[in-house]
Amino acid sequence: MFLKELSDIPGVSGFEGKVREFIKEKIKDKVDYIETDKLGNLIALKKGKVNKKLMITAHMDEVGFIVSNIEEDGKISIIPLGTIDPRVVLGKKVVIGEKQILGVIGSKPVHLMEGYEKVSFENIKVDIGATKKQEAESKVKIGDFVSFAPNAMVHEEWISGKALDDRGGCSILMDLILSGLDLYYDTFFAFVIQEETGLRGSGSCAFKINPDFAIVVETTTSGDNPEFPPDRRSSELGKGPVITPAHRGYVNDERLFNFAVKVAKENNIPYQIKRRTVGGTDAARIAITTGTPSLVISIPSRYIHSPMSVVNISDYQNTLKLLSLILIKEVL
Amino acid sequence: MEVKEILKNLSNLDGPSGYEFPVIKYIKDVAEKIAPVKTLIDNHGNLIVRKKGDGRKIALFAHTDEIAFVITKKEFGNYFRIHTFGGVDPKVVISQRLRIHTKEGISYGIVGMLEPHLQNEEIRQKNITFDDLFIDVLDKSDSVQIGDLATFDSEAFDLNERYIAGKALDNRASCATLLYTLELLNQFIVNADIYFVFSVREEDGVSGAVNAAYKINPDLAIVLDVTHGDILRPSYPKIETGKGPVLDIGPMVNYEYFDKIKNLAEKLSVNYQIEPNGDHSHTDTDRIQITREGIPTLLISIPLRYMHTPYEVVNIRDMEETARLLSFFLARGGE
Repeated sequence: MFLKELSDIPGVSGFEGKVREFIKEKIKDKVDYIETDKLGNLIALKKGKVNKKLMITAHMDEVGFIVSNIEEDGKISIIPLGTIDPRVVLGKKVVIGEKQILGVIGSKPVHLMEGYEKVSFENIKVDIGATKKQEAESKVKIGDFVSFAPNAMVHEEWISGKALDDRGGCSILMDLILSGLDLYYDTFFAFVIQEETGLRGSGSCAFKINPDFAIVVETTTSGDNPEFPPDRRSSELGKGPVITPAHRGYVNDERLFNFAVKVAKENNIPYQIKRRTVGGTDAARIAITTGTPSLVISIPSRYIHSPMSVVNISDYQNTLKLLSLILIKEVL
Repeated sequence: MEVKEILKNLSNLDGPSGYEFPVIKYIKDVAEKIAPVKTLIDNHGNLIVRKKGDGRKIALFAHTDEIAFVITKKEFGNYFRIHTFGGVDPKVVISQRLRIHTKEGISYGIVGMLEPHLQNEEIRQKNITFDDLFIDVLDKSDSVQIGDLATFDSEAFDLNERYIAGKALDNRASCATLLYTLELLNQFIVNADIYFVFSVREEDGVSGAVNAAYKINPDLAIVLDVTHGDILRPSYPKIETGKGPVLDIGPMVNYEYFDKIKNLAEKLSVNYQIEPNGDHSHTDTDRIQITREGIPTLLISIPLRYMHTPYEVVNIRDMEETARLLSFFLARGGE
């Protein structure tokens, strides 16, 4: 499991290079073929027993920001990459650009507020300790990425960190490659870019590989907290991998969905069916690009798209176990 | 001593009101190393560092405690509810990791926020209060009890060359400044009888410093605290970081001493800023002034950004210049 290391790498949408290098370094000697495509997707092939193709994907990018302006007082304005609730970013440490300049997302002291003050990205500024525009410009430029600072921590049963969505999926794919499975299909492991900004990476992989079917490994929402009504949760932590029947832009292939459920049942792997259709995954893009039947399996997670998300280690292990069993079988 | 390093170490220590001992202990050790002083921890928990002299009795005060959270209720699973004391915007607590101080050591918890995918318009528009927050305890949740305190899990770091970001710089910046002042005094022949008071319990209701002031009964009390920097307040002058110590003026301050220290700052070419106060300064000064038969007081503030958040920001130069001004002022016996 590489989740802690992966979570700590800055890799907001469009700036996945460091994540890609980390993954490539760990897997390159264990695959039959590896390439970085024109968009920056990392594709690795491990050959199987039959001449049919499976593509399994996870996205390398995480939500974050891009520098949109440098203000006269040396503060940095930012706009989000991916969906972020502005209420979760105040008082956070960030890392900016290739020079890894440190900053703090400032917030107005409570003493000076008049009643409740709403937060919006227009009035959020990053403080890099510069007091003039010119000074800030020597460190940061418009277009630089802004990532939440590394904060991953492994607890007894849990992992917390900024980018578990979808480094969880990346780590599972790496574990699948390194575990030396007796793969049934020629399996293309695709670590894709820019899922969070509109599913921009997976389509070109599907086009290039033209697989017979695809599996998307995600880190998904849960909502299993005391503030949210239990009947509106989408999944729960500690209850095993989440198998998605349908989400925005794609209804899972019936055969693949039923197969995944059957494998989980036969092997006593706890699993759950996703209870909400909110959110989309690369399965939607793959469907549009090549019409490839897809399956979405996810690690349930709390507080994704924030600087601090949580997964349960047993869910990670059970997701890995279920996928390990699927990858060695004839599915279609 | 390296002011920056001392400040970072102080910021990383946890000392909620009433639980300041780790901070007090650290300051005591540093003080005893850098100057010939006598130290005492009083019944209330205040650390009093005395640099003995024959002259006028001058006491300097900096509170050591920080804002914190308290575990208030157990929910299902490993979830708990929290509240605060010390005045914290609930929004800056969201998506933070907190260190919960349990009887069996530190447990880490995350103050979570529902994923945006699952939010409806009502949740998106909601004004979050502490009643809406919950903490997801990720270590030894069985050992967490109602009443346990929690602090921000932020580690201090250098923000650019001159600034430090970290928690509890309110008021550890003043603590570090007083330690540096103590060290600078080694260069002077000092006649005054000087007490450095590192006090407890400012954030929960200002009870620490006032007890120490009663005990010491100084001829002059100088309080060091932080103030809002780099933010425009209607009808107030803009106080800026990097522009030197802030000399507070208002009914809690003795005007004669105010003029003396202001004139001295001019003489020493120490840049200073003046901050007016209305009825209250909301610092220990307000209470020290009316202790016993009354004590002449001064309030000096260090400008700070983002007060009571996980990463407050101060300029090191402001601290150094404050210490320089204070050391001359003390060496001259408060003249």
